[in-house]
Amino acid sequence: MVMSAKQVQQYVLRYLDTTNCHIIEKSPGHVIVKLSPQADRELTNRPYYWGYVDRTGVEPETMKFCFIFDRNKMSDLPPDPPPGPGMNAFRLLKEDVPYGSRRLDQFFQAAKTGGSYVHLFEQPTSEQKSIPASTPYEPWLGLNIKIEFACDMKREELHSLGISMITGEIAEQFCDDMLTRKMTPRLPANVHVTRGSMTLSRAKNMLEQYVEKKLKSYDDTWAVEARDRLKDEIARIDSYYEVLLKTDDEEQKKTVEDQYANRTQELTWQYDPRIRVSVINCGIFHIRAHDMQ
Amino acid sequence: MPINPGNPSRQKHAPVDIQFDRTWFSELEQRLNKNGPWDDFTLFGLAYEAEQSRIVSSFDELQCLKHLSNLEPLPHQIDTATKVLHEMRGRAILADEVGLGKTIEAGLILKEYLVRGLARKVLILVPASLVLQWVRELNQKFGIPAVAQKKEYTWHYDVVVASMDTAKRDPHKDLLLSNEYDMLIIDEAHKLKNKKTTNYQFITQLRKKYCLLLTATPVQNDLSELYNLITLLKPGQLGGVGDFAANFIVGKRLPKNEGQLQKELSKVMIRNRRSDGNIGFTKRFVKNVPLTLSDEELDLYNGVTTFVKERYNELNGDISSMLSLVTLQREVCSSRDAVFLTLINLSKKTPPDSPIHAKIWELVEKIKRIKANTKAEKALELIEEMNDKVIIFTEYRQTQDYLLNFFRSKDIIAVPYSGGMNRGKKDWMMDLFRSRAQIMIATEAGGEGINLQFCHHMINFDLPWNPMRVEQRIGRVHRLGQTNDVKIYNLSTSGTIEEHILNLLHEKINMFELVIGQLDVILERMEKQDSLEKRLYKMMLEANSEDEIRANVDSLGKSFKEIANTVASEPYVEKEPEVEAN
Repeated sequence: MVMSAKQVQQYVLRYLDTTNCHIIEKSPGHVIVKLSPQADRELTNRPYYWGYVDRTGVEPETMKFCFIFDRNKMSDLPPDPPPGPGMNAFRLLKEDVPYGSRRLDQFFQAAKTGGSYVHLFEQPTSEQKSIPASTPYEPWLGLNIKIEFACDMKREELHSLGISMITGEIAEQFCDDMLTRKMTPRLPANVHVTRGSMTLSRAKNMLEQYVEKKLKSYDDTWAVEARDRLKDEIARIDSYYEVLLKTDDEEQKKTVEDQYANRTQELTWQYDPRIRVSVINCGIFHIRAHDMQ
Repeated sequence: MPINPGNPSRQKHAPVDIQFDRTWFSELEQRLNKNGPWDDFTLFGLAYEAEQSRIVSSFDELQCLKHLSNLEPLPHQIDTATKVLHEMRGRAILADEVGLGKTIEAGLILKEYLVRGLARKVLILVPASLVLQWVRELNQKFGIPAVAQKKEYTWHYDVVVASMDTAKRDPHKDLLLSNEYDMLIIDEAHKLKNKKTTNYQFITQLRKKYCLLLTATPVQNDLSELYNLITLLKPGQLGGVGDFAANFIVGKRLPKNEGQLQKELSKVMIRNRRSDGNIGFTKRFVKNVPLTLSDEELDLYNGVTTFVKERYNELNGDISSMLSLVTLQREVCSSRDAVFLTLINLSKKTPPDSPIHAKIWELVEKIKRIKANTKAEKALELIEEMNDKVIIFTEYRQTQDYLLNFFRSKDIIAVPYSGGMNRGKKDWMMDLFRSRAQIMIATEAGGEGINLQFCHHMINFDLPWNPMRVEQRIGRVHRLGQTNDVKIYNLSTSGTIEEHILNLLHEKINMFELVIGQLDVILERMEKQDSLEKRLYKMMLEANSEDEIRANVDSLGKSFKEIANTVASEPYVEKEPEVEAN
């Protein structure tokens, strides 16, 4: 689902906000921002500068940007100062950030780098706080996974799975559910965490089995067709090289054999169907017990 | 992407291999043991959202268009990309006629594979002169971070554009051959027509998954060239070498079993033509504007003609020194300024005691007597009439300078454009023309980057004698994206050599109104011995009368038409009708 200009803007603003960047100016069409050190490291591609800062401990000078989301919805920007030595540090870099742009991809990547592994507790509700007894929390392993079905073509699915490390219960759209809750990285008062009876490894295996079972139920026409194509292609080069391999010239034969092997390998690479399951990010979520309906 | 060493001949319904990525597991376990560090929940959510937005949920819905904000591809380009992706499975010859956007098509296909994560490591081999243009287009139009190969370490970038000559040489060659490329793109692929060349063998050795070969002329001389190209992509597609000759070839360029050949070709090659109905070209209107030279100009013209003839006869037809004489004869039809400079240069090269000096100064005297440029006056009249942007082409720098001054004196803003300008200056001139100037005066039509879709009037102040250059000029304005009909004005001075050239290009070849497909192929065949330009030179210098010139022009025109007809009837590059119906 492609993001609209507005969604892109909201996305970027949330990133800037959560990484403590300093917003200087903002309109429905643009934002002028001085990056925080964290965001600067992720977005400006200046490893040497940051290496220098880390080594010498000098106060870092982060960059200022104007990100533009919709030129029709913004007022005119101030003109650039006249160029001169050292002015680069003060120049405002203006950049359009449409969907598909490399800059947005960089924000995506930055979010992934800064949001890979979490360990969170659900915030207690007000009722919960009023009860004198401590509320039991149940640990869940949550995985956001991408499944890629690839041959010479490819399609993908995104799944968010969670498994209770006590009961083994598995939930879909787990992350979506977590995102509606208030979560905190610190253990809240008046809450006790139940130790999972299941090891992390066991939870992982159960989720993998779940995925495998799910995939078995899928229509595999795409893979069958890809294998048919592969067979046809192999037959085509077989017939081509068959003749050439009949040569008596040993040296030439070697060359042809190498070529033949390369071509066969390329075809397998191109067509052979495979499924890849990868984890985008994951975490342990402690939530109120028996609260996953 | 690593090659999966699976066995292709296994059972049809064997389950598909599932690979689980488990790198996350040890990392999570470690952080649990060490009690951190833990990441931010908002970023966790943002990373999930990012994946949601870019998940590719269908095998065949084109994704690349959603990622391109700086480009609006044309329908035939999208069709081509779709066909290559879904029917040809990423291995194809893109053989559109010049100017239909093969680069755009290749870019779309590449972008699609990149977006889908089916390609990461990409090698693009192009002629050295096109490397930077490719890099620029991929970056600007497609947002693909392509880099030009400069140093050895550049090869490690994901998307590299390099020249074939560099790539096939040591030490680069071994490095490339040890790599595996998810995609290989070769521009001007007709240079790979010969199996015995090192280029061809190098490409055969390269390991690649997807492969695009771009050429406007898949066949120049011989059907076997096409066979060789296809063998690079898909060995055996047209059978073995012997099968191909036996099944499909009668003569060098004459196929048999055409229907069958077409069918096989359409599986690996796409050729869009300007004449295809679905390609949006506007019309061309041509107006020849005959002019009568003033007495002074005519006097100079006749003086120069006599001078040129005399010198040529003295040289006994020595071709090598004939060029400056021909130039002189052509310049006199353009402007006195152009003639003047050539005469001065000629005088410098002539020994001080030569009687020729007197003759040269005689001509200079004639130049001095000329008060106005008839062509420039006429051009001004046309421009005032059209009251719109116009590009004026001339062959000569001196004429360009003269015209710049001429229009400046009439308070019309004109900007120059020349081959010698650097990239930045060219872009600047284009911007000025688009935003402020009414006129651009150009001496160069070839080369990249002069795309003038916003202008649809063009004046040929004088004409090149090489039809390719004429076509290049027109191609600057009459191109995809031009929304208006294009109006072309040819200024031609009556009773001069120009009249004959215009007759050949316009009446005989019909250069201006028709888009001649495969002009390059026709010319290459026509120019087996001598270039058309050279033949015209000789004809002009050796003819004894106007009638003789006219007869010569007629016969040139005839032979051009014959070759054009033969080329057009060679059907092996035609699209299948069924394909078009889709």
